[in-house]
Amino acid sequence: MNNVNNKKVVEVKNLIKNYGAKDFETKALKGIDLTVYENDFIAIMGPSGSGKTTLLNILSTIDKPSLGSVILASKDITKISNKELSKLRRDKIGFIFQDYNLLDTMNLEDNIALPLAFGGVFPKECIRKTKELAAMFGLSEHLKKYPYQLSGGQKQRGAACRALITGPEIIFADEPTGALDSKAGRELLECLKRINEEGRATILMVTHDPFSASYARDVYILNDGVIKCRLSKGGERKEFYDRIIDVQTSMGGDFLCE
Amino acid sequence: MRMMKVVFLNFKSSFRNYLSLVIALSFTILIFLNFQTILCSEDFGVLSAKKKEYVDMLVQAVSFVLVCFMFFFVWYSTNVFLTKRKREIGVYVFMGLSNEKIGKLYAIETALIGLSALVFGIFFGVLSTGLFQMILLALSEMAVEIRFQFQLKPILNTAGIYLTVYFIFVIKGYVNIVRSSVLNLLSGTKQNEYVRQSRIGLLLKAAAGTGTLGAGFYLAVRESGNSVDVLGNLFAAVVLVVAGVYLLFGGLIPLIFQGLAGNKRFLYGKQRCLWINNVIFRMKKNYRTYAMVCILVLCSVTALATGFAMKYKYENIRHFENMYTFQVLVEEPLPEEKIKGMIEEYTPVAFGSEISMAGFKDGVVKANENYGTYGIVAWSELKKLAEDVGLAFDFAEPKEGQVIRASHLYLLSMITDKSNISVTINGKEYRQVGETNLPYLGYLQDKISFYVVNDEEFRKLAPLGQQLYAYNYRIEDLSAFADVRENLRTFKEKAGDAYMGIVSMDPAQDEMEWIKIMYSLCIFMFMVFILASGCIMFMKLYHDSFEEKERYLVLRKMGISDEALKKSIERELGIAYGLPFVVMGVSSYFSVHALELMMHADLLAINGVSVFTVFVIFLLCYCLSVSVYVRGQGI
Repeated sequence: MNNVNNKKVVEVKNLIKNYGAKDFETKALKGIDLTVYENDFIAIMGPSGSGKTTLLNILSTIDKPSLGSVILASKDITKISNKELSKLRRDKIGFIFQDYNLLDTMNLEDNIALPLAFGGVFPKECIRKTKELAAMFGLSEHLKKYPYQLSGGQKQRGAACRALITGPEIIFADEPTGALDSKAGRELLECLKRINEEGRATILMVTHDPFSASYARDVYILNDGVIKCRLSKGGERKEFYDRIIDVQTSMGGDFLCE
Repeated sequence: MRMMKVVFLNFKSSFRNYLSLVIALSFTILIFLNFQTILCSEDFGVLSAKKKEYVDMLVQAVSFVLVCFMFFFVWYSTNVFLTKRKREIGVYVFMGLSNEKIGKLYAIETALIGLSALVFGIFFGVLSTGLFQMILLALSEMAVEIRFQFQLKPILNTAGIYLTVYFIFVIKGYVNIVRSSVLNLLSGTKQNEYVRQSRIGLLLKAAAGTGTLGAGFYLAVRESGNSVDVLGNLFAAVVLVVAGVYLLFGGLIPLIFQGLAGNKRFLYGKQRCLWINNVIFRMKKNYRTYAMVCILVLCSVTALATGFAMKYKYENIRHFENMYTFQVLVEEPLPEEKIKGMIEEYTPVAFGSEISMAGFKDGVVKANENYGTYGIVAWSELKKLAEDVGLAFDFAEPKEGQVIRASHLYLLSMITDKSNISVTINGKEYRQVGETNLPYLGYLQDKISFYVVNDEEFRKLAPLGQQLYAYNYRIEDLSAFADVRENLRTFKEKAGDAYMGIVSMDPAQDEMEWIKIMYSLCIFMFMVFILASGCIMFMKLYHDSFEEKERYLVLRKMGISDEALKKSIERELGIAYGLPFVVMGVSSYFSVHALELMMHADLLAINGVSVFTVFVIFLLCYCLSVSVYVRGQGI
């Protein structure tokens, strides 16, 4: 349950996104209102074309909305310069991509430390934080390895470390388990859940997988550019998973096959 | 027929993507055509006839280098084309096409690209011949003036050689595809693996590279009194430096960068984490290119230094030969002012001198360099001659058993060690304590090897040889040359049996015109090498920028500012251009120094100027590369 006394990390008001020329517009988002509080773990689910990726791209400052406002770290990201956006992305946001996006030119240790090194943090601090996070994600033994020497799960956990290292206010995860097998996916989700529970990260995850979504505390179901419903975890993850499946089935469930 | 249609459609759609390859190929054709045009021009034929063996030797060397250059460009371009297309054409496998058919598709498509490059290359080559001439003339006022005209022969020669080289690689590509497995075809572009190289392997390479390069440098500047040794040393030096540079780029430099990457306290400062890792990543793939560019630029600097050394020598030798317009050599002394009076019937004398000497034949005198005829002169007489003609003379009188050598200027000398030289005259050994190549005795000094001894020694040696007297004059009015020569010839005829040799140096005649061709070719080589290196580096980095696109997209998504990414790119490309430049700069000091020793010329300034020219051209290419690279990443 969201604690209303918590600090707001992201506040989205009447978010609209249209694509295409005026007469042939496609409405991807039709007025989204969403508030993410500190220490939330939110999953956004929806069928193909529901607008999940568009929403994530806008929230993570990669895309701009047609209308509406997004307040992130007390700033309206629709109104700030590109330079400020870069700074915001570097300092306040962490990303976990579906295909890991680790740089194959450097080893895991450098990949994790990269955002801090570019942020002008003292090298000693970069080294300390990298080791700390790697240990938390069970990657200490793999730090000297290059991405091609790591398994998919290790890569994605490495990407999660990289996303967390700057201590961002929010982590955006785009289908983080999409390219992983079930075991590796579960390991990653357990890690994300743990750091969220330890109060280390606020997470907003886009997924089409009910199993992944069941690790979140709140699930928003997006369909046709609007949020259709919100589910909150009450008790066990298994029970939450069943509820998500039920809602999906009642809504048609077609997006399960995505 | 359907296959041709597919090929043509592919060619049309991919032409823009492969424009850089077409340009690279056209460039090599352009250079080769320009060179062929010079060779086929009438003026060149007339000039080169004079010293055919020298010019032919140089032309063959230049042709060889240019064919190698073309070979590399074609190899590189077709290789890039094959790598890029492999994955795409691999899809044809699923359409039921056999490897042979796919190979044919590739071969025809590549041939079309090659032919378009030929058309562009010939077209721009013909247009740029005038431009090349202008640059050659701008670089030197003494370069040979060659009138450029449209000729068919150089075009046919160029097209013939290019097509031969090109089709070798098309066939190689065809064979490669036919022999490839489906998996190989589909993963053709995924070759970015095995980044880090083994430390021991690198250490071994680094040690071998440093040792080889050091040995090459040492041999290049090692002096020797034996011309065979010097030639051997030079050959070994070239081989060692080339091998050393390759090993340096393949061993020491990656080792240093891997060491830097291992030091995290250093690595995590500024943008180093990105660009140092990128350099390591690229180094494994690109070290051959960097090494080749380094060697190419080294050749370019050495070619320019050779050209300028020849120019200096040419001017000095001309000055040497024209020191006196007339020299008369007789056995019996002539009445005072006799020759001078005969000259002054037509023109005033600018300056003149007289000297007596003892002439020796080979056998009586044994020296390192075999001249056949030797002359011994007294120190005090030569000193007086120097005063008469206004030349410097700062040698102390040699002691008993010592000589000073008065030699001529060499265009090229293989004897670089001038210490511990001795000469035997009439069974007695004399130690050479000094050498001068000031033209005290003008043309005679070019043909006779002179040794200066002290006056006492001269008195002892003179009776043993042929007593000779030389009268040397430089005329003021050069237009009177023919009249004076005729007058002296009549005088010689009248003298009858008495020995008299007359040397007449016609100021209008230039027997060393062929050096100008060598000079022009050296400048041409400099331009070609330097343009080729810049072009290769640019192409390589342009190609790399495509591979980097995805990585930079991720970095931008991660919030790394464009400014920081640009700085990182600047540093990475700075290393790519800087490393070959620095290695070349150091190596050029040794190669030019070796040339200095052989040509007895001070070439340090030329070394500096040519290195600076390379710097400017590299800087231009660097700025262009950074701009293209940055734009390529959407920054």
